[in-house]
Amino acid sequence: MWDFIVERRDDIIFNTYQHASLVAQAVLLATVIAVLLAVVVVRVPALAGVANVVSAIGLTLPAFALIGLLLPLTSIGVVTGFVAVTFYAILPILRNAVVGLQQVDETLLESARGMGMGQLASLWRVRIPLAWPVILAGIRTSTQMSMGIAAIAAYVKGPGLGDYIFAGLVRIGGANAVNYAVVGTVGIILVALVADALLLLLGRASISKGIRAA
Amino acid sequence: MTDLADPPQETVARHEPLDGPGEAVPERGARSRLDRSTLLMLVVPPILVAIVFAGYVWWRQTADLDGVEQSQLAWDSTWSALWRHVELTLAASALVVVIAVPLGILLTRGRARLLSPLVVGIANIGQAAPAVGLIVLLAMWRGYGFWTAVIALVLYGVLPVLRNTITGLQGVDPTLVEAGRGLGMSNGAVLLKVELPLAVPVIMSGVRTALVLVVGTATLATFVGAGGLGAIIDTGITLYRFRVMVAGAVLVALLALLIEWLGRLLELLTRPKGL
Repeated sequence: MWDFIVERRDDIIFNTYQHASLVAQAVLLATVIAVLLAVVVVRVPALAGVANVVSAIGLTLPAFALIGLLLPLTSIGVVTGFVAVTFYAILPILRNAVVGLQQVDETLLESARGMGMGQLASLWRVRIPLAWPVILAGIRTSTQMSMGIAAIAAYVKGPGLGDYIFAGLVRIGGANAVNYAVVGTVGIILVALVADALLLLLGRASISKGIRAA
Repeated sequence: MTDLADPPQETVARHEPLDGPGEAVPERGARSRLDRSTLLMLVVPPILVAIVFAGYVWWRQTADLDGVEQSQLAWDSTWSALWRHVELTLAASALVVVIAVPLGILLTRGRARLLSPLVVGIANIGQAAPAVGLIVLLAMWRGYGFWTAVIALVLYGVLPVLRNTITGLQGVDPTLVEAGRGLGMSNGAVLLKVELPLAVPVIMSGVRTALVLVVGTATLATFVGAGGLGAIIDTGITLYRFRVMVAGAVLVALLALLIEWLGRLLELLTRPKGL
């Protein structure tokens, strides 16, 4: 096992980086989309129920099914993986962002307006910072989920560590099959744990001091 | 302009059925959570599934499919893949409940209580394992087949039920447990008659999460020769036939929606009346 890793270390590092980078980019895009959607949803209360239902139905959709649906549109390769991961990453963030933005105390928004803030300023400087801890929790869930979805996307030549898992699968019974599968699986677990730790740190750094718990 | 959603208590308190024994104070509890989005989730999915499935049947009967597509999407093989998928899901979910609920109960009793953060922590890390990796590694260890897939699905589905069982039991008001003891109930009786009934809503929401995870992950069972609807998608990808892969994907999505809906229904039906 050790030799296997040492021999392929460059390749493994490259794939690890690819995996992390795919998830990071997808989650970043998903965060932007989800928060924008949430801002709209919060303004139109009738949409809140719809957003919940869409998000619940979307999360029910199996990843492999979405890949099957996407393939005719995006063909084999990185794009399919990226779109699939982004799609799933949006849902938990959207749900949390809606809840987080709704929870902001109306009186605070009133005071922001009283201080002369416009709609945008009060959104950017009051509402989003107050909702941020909840949004960030959604981002953590999304990131965790995305790791596994990116692994499945490797089946249609998405980038990343999932490749090793499928490389192990086709070699089953042969040399190195277990090595491949273990490197892929454990690698993804490690990337997931590191990503989660980084997001926790991000929370420390970015959550407004006034609302930080203890 | 008030752009906050209207407070939910308005929407429901009225539907509160007065079937509780004694005083029927409409507490904002379980049943009053039958708010708009819960209601939507109970009504929309079955209708959606019925419409899309009808569309699929119509398409399957009228589309001009070539020989390969005809044989891949033949009704009898579709039904057996569907049935296999259901078997995988039900077998794994049943095992999940049988394993996770007693384990959760055990981890809230006596000294084992101290272990529960550790177990949940390990389970959390385990959840970070990609499902494909888990299923492939298990196939290497135990060989291809139905039970290999089931074991992987169980490993994957245990966490939500375990976590919710522990949370649910810990969330029971200690004064109620005390009251049960005061009535002369034994520990077992308190567990069965007070703690578990109060924890059921939380546990069942974990069961629904597990059902969704399991039915989705069962799509990957085809990689270890355990069949299921994933096989249709897989064949579609391998042969690069768009119609086959999309057909498989649609069928899986419908089944997943239906299972999620059943989970919701189960959640509602198992809710103890007093809550």
